[in-house]
Amino acid sequence: MSESGIIDYAVLIPLLPMLAFPVILFLGKMFNGTPTWVKNVKEGGIIALTVMGASLLLALLVIKEHMHHVGTANIFTWFESSWWNPETGAITTKVFGVGVYIDHLTVMLLFVAAFLCFLINIFSIGYMNTDPINDNRNHRFYAEFVLFCSGMLGMVLADSFLWLFIFWELMGLCSYLLIGFYYERPSAAYAAKKAFLTTRVGDVFLVIGLIMLWNLFQPYAGTQGALSYAVVFDPANIAKVNPGDLQIALGMMFIGAVGKSAQFPLHVWLPDAMEGPTPVSALIHAATMVNAGLYLVARMFPFFSGAELGALSTLAIVIACIGGITAVMAALIAFVQMDLKKVLAYSTMSQLAYIFTGLGSALWFANNGYEELAAFAMGASLFHLFNHAMAKGMLFMASGSVIHEMHHAHHEVAHHGHDDDHGDDHDDHHDDHFDAQSMENMGGLASRMPITATAMFFGSMSIIGIPLIGGFWSKEGIISSAWQVARKEPVFLLPAMLVLIGAGMTGFYMSRMWFMTFAGKPKTEVAEKVHEQTAWIPIPLVILTFMTLGAFILAGMHAGHWLGDFNNGHYSNFFDGIGYELEHVFMNHDMFLFILTYVAIGLSLILGPSLAMSLYGGSLDDGQKAKPWMQWAISLSAKVNSKSNFDNSAWANSSLSESLHKRLHFDDIYDAAMLKIVVGFANLSAIFDSKVIDGVIKTIESTSQEVSRRVRSLTTGSARDYIMMATLGTLVIFMLLWGVA
Amino acid sequence: METEVFSTEFWQAFAPEMVLVVGLVLLFIIPNLGEAKFRVPLTKVRIPWLFGGRRFKSTGSPALPGMLGTATLFVALGMMVIETIDGGLSTTTVTSGDVTLLQIDAFSRFFEIIFLAAILMASMASLDRVPAHTFKGNKSLEEMYDNRRQADLYILMLTTALGMCMVALSQDLFVLFVGLELASLATYILVAFHKESKAGAESGVKYFIVGSVASGIGLYGLSLLYLEFGSLQLSTLSANWADGSILATIALGLVLVGFGFKVSAAPFHFAAPDAYAGANSPIAGVLATASKAMGMIGLIRILLVIALPDTGTDGSAIWIYTLATLSVVTMTWGNIAALGSTNPKRMLAYSSVAHAGYMMAALTAVGAWHWGHVEAPADYAEAIVAAILFHLFVLVAFKLGAFLVLGLLEMEGGASRLSALSGLARRDPLIGTSMFIFMLALAGVPPLAGFMSKFLVIASIVSTSVGDQWVNGSISFSDLHWVWWLALAMFINSAISVFYYLRIGVVMFLDIPEEGRRKPLPYGASIRMAIWICLVATIILGLSADTLIDMCYRAAESLKLA
Repeated sequence: MSESGIIDYAVLIPLLPMLAFPVILFLGKMFNGTPTWVKNVKEGGIIALTVMGASLLLALLVIKEHMHHVGTANIFTWFESSWWNPETGAITTKVFGVGVYIDHLTVMLLFVAAFLCFLINIFSIGYMNTDPINDNRNHRFYAEFVLFCSGMLGMVLADSFLWLFIFWELMGLCSYLLIGFYYERPSAAYAAKKAFLTTRVGDVFLVIGLIMLWNLFQPYAGTQGALSYAVVFDPANIAKVNPGDLQIALGMMFIGAVGKSAQFPLHVWLPDAMEGPTPVSALIHAATMVNAGLYLVARMFPFFSGAELGALSTLAIVIACIGGITAVMAALIAFVQMDLKKVLAYSTMSQLAYIFTGLGSALWFANNGYEELAAFAMGASLFHLFNHAMAKGMLFMASGSVIHEMHHAHHEVAHHGHDDDHGDDHDDHHDDHFDAQSMENMGGLASRMPITATAMFFGSMSIIGIPLIGGFWSKEGIISSAWQVARKEPVFLLPAMLVLIGAGMTGFYMSRMWFMTFAGKPKTEVAEKVHEQTAWIPIPLVILTFMTLGAFILAGMHAGHWLGDFNNGHYSNFFDGIGYELEHVFMNHDMFLFILTYVAIGLSLILGPSLAMSLYGGSLDDGQKAKPWMQWAISLSAKVNSKSNFDNSAWANSSLSESLHKRLHFDDIYDAAMLKIVVGFANLSAIFDSKVIDGVIKTIESTSQEVSRRVRSLTTGSARDYIMMATLGTLVIFMLLWGVA
Repeated sequence: METEVFSTEFWQAFAPEMVLVVGLVLLFIIPNLGEAKFRVPLTKVRIPWLFGGRRFKSTGSPALPGMLGTATLFVALGMMVIETIDGGLSTTTVTSGDVTLLQIDAFSRFFEIIFLAAILMASMASLDRVPAHTFKGNKSLEEMYDNRRQADLYILMLTTALGMCMVALSQDLFVLFVGLELASLATYILVAFHKESKAGAESGVKYFIVGSVASGIGLYGLSLLYLEFGSLQLSTLSANWADGSILATIALGLVLVGFGFKVSAAPFHFAAPDAYAGANSPIAGVLATASKAMGMIGLIRILLVIALPDTGTDGSAIWIYTLATLSVVTMTWGNIAALGSTNPKRMLAYSSVAHAGYMMAALTAVGAWHWGHVEAPADYAEAIVAAILFHLFVLVAFKLGAFLVLGLLEMEGGASRLSALSGLARRDPLIGTSMFIFMLALAGVPPLAGFMSKFLVIASIVSTSVGDQWVNGSISFSDLHWVWWLALAMFINSAISVFYYLRIGVVMFLDIPEEGRRKPLPYGASIRMAIWICLVATIILGLSADTLIDMCYRAAESLKLA
């Protein structure tokens, strides 16, 4: 089924940024350092912004058109080819081309990706272009940035798993390049390598999974590629495939998703990836790329609903368990992090894990015939993906804003505020080991950075799941779905329990982060001098704050139902929906769910934050006052802090705390394993490579060069010889013709 | 539509070619206009007649012939392209008495477009490559020579174009031969255009000698054909071919040599690397594309139009083994020689020998067109011919493009060593990247035009070798026609060729620029423009080739093979 209309232009959404990539790179190379390039074009930032704006606009048009029906279009047929299968002797025609596939899932992620790419682009212009370290290389940043956006948008729009994989890898490459943007820093180079190699482990499994999938569906593919959605999502085809094999294939693909979305046990790369510039952390490692894994798992939904009942439930349980384990593990590690961005990184991991658990529940329901529950769980998971992307993108940008201003303030302090031009002396700026990202150096910023503090305030509340704000709507849905499965399938108790505990833990570490940064008295001289001053940065913060606060409107419009039901889901009028939603959440007729809701709210709203307040709360210094919507929280925290005599030294000295500081030893274990096994194997293969493979290659090379030399030596340079050869050739032609005639 | 020579319809139909003729005449006249006066004998009356003498400032400008030549080619090409796209192309036959001389159809127009496009690119590039200087201050001998020769260069280019068009249009082997010689003689001079340089003069003479011998052999073949059939008309020869004696076969072999030299098939290719290396790069590019296409017309006319057995008879053409041998030898020889070649121009010359081998392999498959009484054999044949035409067309994009990049390098010195290219990507990223894309296209990397052309050629050979065997159910390898092996040979050869194409990339991207070549490349607006056009064509024709493939099919159909 192919149709025309705006969908024909959907391919431009990833294509425009992809074309902008070489343009920015070459123009940057040509005009680097010239005043126009720096001032007016913002070293390529304006070009990138224009392109991302166009992509966003197109994406919105496509979304408007396809809110209610699945759209597929063959955008471009490259060529058709018939081939002959020697085994069966049959001739098959295959069409090679590009197409797009747009359903609810695509629409949602398309919006998230295009919208956040655009906003973070605005943020980057404020953040990157004022950082003296970036002098004369921001064109590289913007070029890689748009290439990444192209990868993400392309992956979402792809109409086959093959194209999905191609764009998936494109994102992987850009992630590597951007994490290593400050390549002269060994830690950044190391982090880039680590991220690339860790996700590579997952990607190898993804390839294996795709190959298996191809093998399974190839007999039924017809003229299309065996990995195109039209083939693999056809229930008739799914019914013909052996479910056991299908489960293994999907499991392999899931490992790829685990790597990309930084889930246990392939999660180690994400915290280190924070070495990249903050816009990169916001875009790639919080809002978009890490969602690719979720997208892949969500895409598997038709397999689960189409396959034999119960045949794939093991995989669904595995997905949910991985999610549950990661949710708690990451939250635990986040307890002790001092680096602002690392807290957010672990929080990302933990929230993505929630979505995995939700998807696991949805897939379990789908595979066991509970269609309505499956749709509900799916909707909740995807809605959480949406809320999380908005909130986390905002949180990272806000943290970037804090770090940026801390740098500036530190600079002013270190140079007695005299020189505004910070061109050449950024070296000593790094020599004195002031950590602008550490929360130990912050405190009391709520009044000094009101916009940033507000954004972080509501962002944190959304992540925690404070009732009525942002992520609350979706997180409740995930937790209740997980417990609903657990009522039917006891093994599911593990992930269900873990996500419930995780809710309280989220409340603690997010509050801890906010209070340590924004409440209390400034802990350093630098923090006193901080103020918001950079243009461009606040714009996306304000927009996203409203997006986060507006989540209840989406919830009222049944966004969850719409996202969950691929075929019949419709969003509804806000006023019709909100009453139903509120009743469903707060006054559920099912006693079990009713209690569950209030337990979850109690954990995340009361227990977590109050613990954090008692440890890290405090009023601002005299004369400073935050905006009223935050001031109450600060005052409350000061009260809680002074009333409680909570002594946490026992905890701080415990062995658990220590191993949390060491990130639960995952890195040590992996490093040890690498050293022993991988390096040993690498040495062996190095010997094989240099002796056997190189030997063969070199022999071929020298032989062919020798043959080439001899052949060329026939070209003597003398016309007489040429004519003689031509005469000989004529004789040969005669002999050959004679033989036939 | 039939028309007599020099009738009204004739002028209308041949308007683009007439533009070339007018351009040629103007190129003779305009640079010679001056203030000269003619004195009436025995009187003192002097009548101004404007020819010779002290030239006007405007007409004496050394830059004028270049502009004039390029504009002429552009107008002629534009007229042809518009005519083809509009669909206003009708078959027009020119007769003189009962002899058919020329015919305009989709096939001939397609080739004319190839020729004019290639020569237009070369002429645009020559505006910078052989620059015209206005005399100010110091004038070196070379500059003076260059200025004096401006008109010569473009006259020769237009002559080449005219000769090639004649080859494409001809319906009579004698007319074809005249056109071939007109174009060839002009190219011999173009190769030796820089007669001061030893390489240029020597290569020109060598190319001339070997070319003349080949032409002589070919002409002898034509005379034998005339002896046998009493006519050199394509239609007559084609109709009577089946009744020919051994004399016809000998003639066929001799003619094959003549055209084999033009497409630089082994072992008649020896002069080609020398000629390419000695000529200006844009001229070498014309030799590798337009001149090769001209030879290909000859081969198609003689092998496919004349010497192809009729559909009614069983079996394959008699030349099929000959051509198969030649094609495999040619492609292998070209590739192996290119492997070790360190002169980029020679490397490209050998690569163009290999490309000739690929196209001859495709021609061989046409010879097997109705083996085992294949249903609708003309479909198979047309698919192959269309693939060859497509290949010839896209060669203009990426092979000529590669030569133009070398031409840009020649503007700052030689381009006869591989090291001349070193660090090109660093010195000029856009040019370096373009060259790399041209190399990838030559190697046949998707999604570029080169991939599409190789794909079409190989796919059409394979589908001919399968024929309609599969209708009977399952088939095995032994059921295939042996031309299948040619596709395999082509495949292996393509794999070998990747080595030397990618080596250019390695040198450009990884090596450090050699001493004295650290500065940015010379600017050259029009040569760069020509390179961009080639680059865009290379990419677009790879991604979206439908229109061009349709054109190729229409051209192949107009050959009326069945």
